[in-house]
Amino acid sequence: MIVYLLCFALFLVGIYGLITKRDLIKIIIASGIVGYATNLMLILFAYRKGAHYPILEKGKMVTSQMMVDPLPQALVLTSIVIELGITAMLVALAIRLYEKHQTFDITKIRRLSG
Amino acid sequence: MKTNPGMTLIVKTVTRISVWLIILYGFYIILHGHLSPGGGFAGGVIIALAFLNVMLAYGHETITRWLSLKFMHDLEPAAGALYLAIGVLGIALGGRFLANFLPKGTLFDLWSSGNILVLNIIIGIKVAMGLFTVVWTLAVFRLYQGGDK
Repeated sequence: MIVYLLCFALFLVGIYGLITKRDLIKIIIASGIVGYATNLMLILFAYRKGAHYPILEKGKMVTSQMMVDPLPQALVLTSIVIELGITAMLVALAIRLYEKHQTFDITKIRRLSG
Repeated sequence: MKTNPGMTLIVKTVTRISVWLIILYGFYIILHGHLSPGGGFAGGVIIALAFLNVMLAYGHETITRWLSLKFMHDLEPAAGALYLAIGVLGIALGGRFLANFLPKGTLFDLWSSGNILVLNIIIGIKVAMGLFTVVWTLAVFRLYQGGDK
């Protein structure tokens, strides 16, 4: 139970960064932390105490009862790819804003019309 | 440093030696994706980061001269189309989308996975080209010419 609470604390760290920071780069990093916390939570759901990693090896044959669940790990791999796309898009938008306003501070980006 | 883009001589020399090792490691991760952790996506990211390493050390003009960006940009959707073609070939030969039609080989060999090795290579190419194109675009393109100040 304590690992889920720690994972939620990591999620809250990301939310704190998203809400309170003014620098666009720090906001992007905070959104990344939120994503990592979510991925870690999904991996922890699949964890089974004392279990083997879900890979067949030559000398070591394990039954499927002794493996951790590989399905959330495949899901998290997809989630990491989507997170990569989101981060790339946010960075592109940040570069665009920097070229227009010459600053990363969101309190100084005030003009709406171009 | 205006006349000489990129970083210092030390960084350039280390990059020149290490980039081939990084690319080799990426190919290793791609080819052993069905045996050990890793696979197409992870190996593709490693290869793209090797190119990114060259771009950081030498500047983006050099990498634009070294690598044909147009070819990479064409290779990325071609890899996606190839993946789809193998999937449809699975319908034709095996009855289902992405069904296995290659021989399975012996367990724990490099040729032990049928279609998965081919699909891993295709995904590796697609991810490497796509990710490097994203990073290169972020580094090079300047969409907005003016500015407020």
